Amino acid sequence: MIRIAADLILRAFVVLTGVALATFALLWHAPGDPALSIAEARYGTVVSKEVLDFIRAEAGFDTGFWTAFWAWLSPLLAGDFGQSSVTGRAVWPDLMTAMSYTLPLALVSLAIGLAISVPLALIATRRPGSWMDRGAVALASVGVAIPAFWLGLLLILLFAVQLGWLPAMGADTRAHAVLPALTLALGVAASLTRIIRSGILEARTQVFLPAFRRRGIPPRNIARDHVAPHAAIPVITVLGLELAFLLEGLVVVEVIFARPGLGSFLVNAIYARDFPKVQAVVLLAAVIFVIVNLAIDLIYRSLDPRMDGRNA
Amino acid sequence: MRSVVILVVVFALLMVFGPMLAPYDPTAINIPKRLQPPGGEWLLGTDALGRDILSRLLHGARWSLGLAFVVSFLGLMVGTCVGLIAAQGGRFADWIAMRTTDTFLAFPELIAAVVIAGILGAGTGTLVFALAVTGWMRYARVARGIGLSLATKGYVVQARLAGMHPLTIARWHYLPSLLPSLTVVWTGMFARAILGISALGFLGFGVQPPLPEWGTMLLDARIHMRSTPLQMIWPGIAVVVSVLAINLAGDALRDVLAEQESP
Repeated sequence: MIRIAADLILRAFVVLTGVALATFALLWHAPGDPALSIAEARYGTVVSKEVLDFIRAEAGFDTGFWTAFWAWLSPLLAGDFGQSSVTGRAVWPDLMTAMSYTLPLALVSLAIGLAISVPLALIATRRPGSWMDRGAVALASVGVAIPAFWLGLLLILLFAVQLGWLPAMGADTRAHAVLPALTLALGVAASLTRIIRSGILEARTQVFLPAFRRRGIPPRNIARDHVAPHAAIPVITVLGLELAFLLEGLVVVEVIFARPGLGSFLVNAIYARDFPKVQAVVLLAAVIFVIVNLAIDLIYRSLDPRMDGRNA
Repeated sequence: MRSVVILVVVFALLMVFGPMLAPYDPTAINIPKRLQPPGGEWLLGTDALGRDILSRLLHGARWSLGLAFVVSFLGLMVGTCVGLIAAQGGRFADWIAMRTTDTFLAFPELIAAVVIAGILGAGTGTLVFALAVTGWMRYARVARGIGLSLATKGYVVQARLAGMHPLTIARWHYLPSLLPSLTVVWTGMFARAILGISALGFLGFGVQPPLPEWGTMLLDARIHMRSTPLQMIWPGIAVVVSVLAINLAGDALRDVLAEQESP
């Protein structure tokens, strides 16, 4: 177990190095003179060649790729995310402010998504093939196919424009979070319902279940002790994918609802070509994502001892 | 099953012949007739520049579905190659290929695509590049997994011992066994690509106006949500129905394959 854990942590380290390298290569190959766009954004006027050279030296653009990569990486390793190339403000505090909007929204959406999908999957699997089951599956299939940004727009149209019940833009009050959370939660619920449902159906095919039933163990106990843990395994394996899905949804949903979270932070930074901000979001998201997946991997392996090294 | 096949065929035909059915030029601007309601001369109404929405939807199929096809096919090519290299190339090649795959999987694909397309500059070329670069990893994992299980099969071992070239083995022994599973993966990735193209179009990083892509149309329609809400409905329905059709086709295909494997 320790050997496997060490191997997984080594992998996570290699992956994060790869992400850093890919991010830097992308910024390095960005079209246009980054010094020029920084100067334009910062001073708003045409600047002299000396100023451009100064900006290049300041940002390390005038050295070779690997030198620049190291010069770029070493402060990041020390936890210094630098300053915005547009406003000159430190990136980290702004990033944390954005995070304080995104994290609660993500967690609440995940919780609502689970609160919808678990009962729905339980109802659906009570009688597989019944109209309830078919209805739940149809609902989930449509839900998976709806893009988050369109669902968000439809909810704004219904609850903010037509009915006027809820605010659509901004993040001033709790009420502002209802529509974004609902948008994300419905998407999460749709994909989780499908997975939980097939997990339960699969778990019910285990060969020893009829033996338990004939021995007189109450169905409720069989469901709790033998079906539920087995059904949980596929759910845990896809939690990483679910998180990715949630983060992807967050980006567009925050843009639509004008919430000042990580997604808006990222998109606005790209629009402004504010690369220090872009790289900060990318690296932070990669670290979170890799750590969560590492944790899921370890939990999964402890649940299912059949997993060995090369099948991972 | 039959209804799914019909739906997919209808969409394939729409992608190829849709533009011919369009009653108007999708980019023809007609300001006096802007924001017309559906019905009458313009079946689905007109947008803020007086362009016929039905014509834009029909032409948009070629962009939204056509580009998704290209993207998912490029991913299939790259991913299969990486997976086969991992399965056939020995432990070192396997490690390199799989850590590269992990690196690309270390990030939500759509966000990576947004960052790549945004930084390299919006346009159709960068859109395809961004989505293909972030969309090959699942094929690689599936191809490698099946490849590893084939490597110990008698006929593959014999082919290798007989001195057959690895590419020949890949072509004649690996690909035929890979194709069914890769096709199932491909349907899922095709659906994801449609969602990705429309999401990037909606954020302004995808197909650029005046080209009629469904996500880009939604971006336009959003501004006029209060006056003409229906304008926002049509492109969304087009995305949902096509993604749904492809997902259902994928599910049906998976069921057929599962039945064949366990008779």
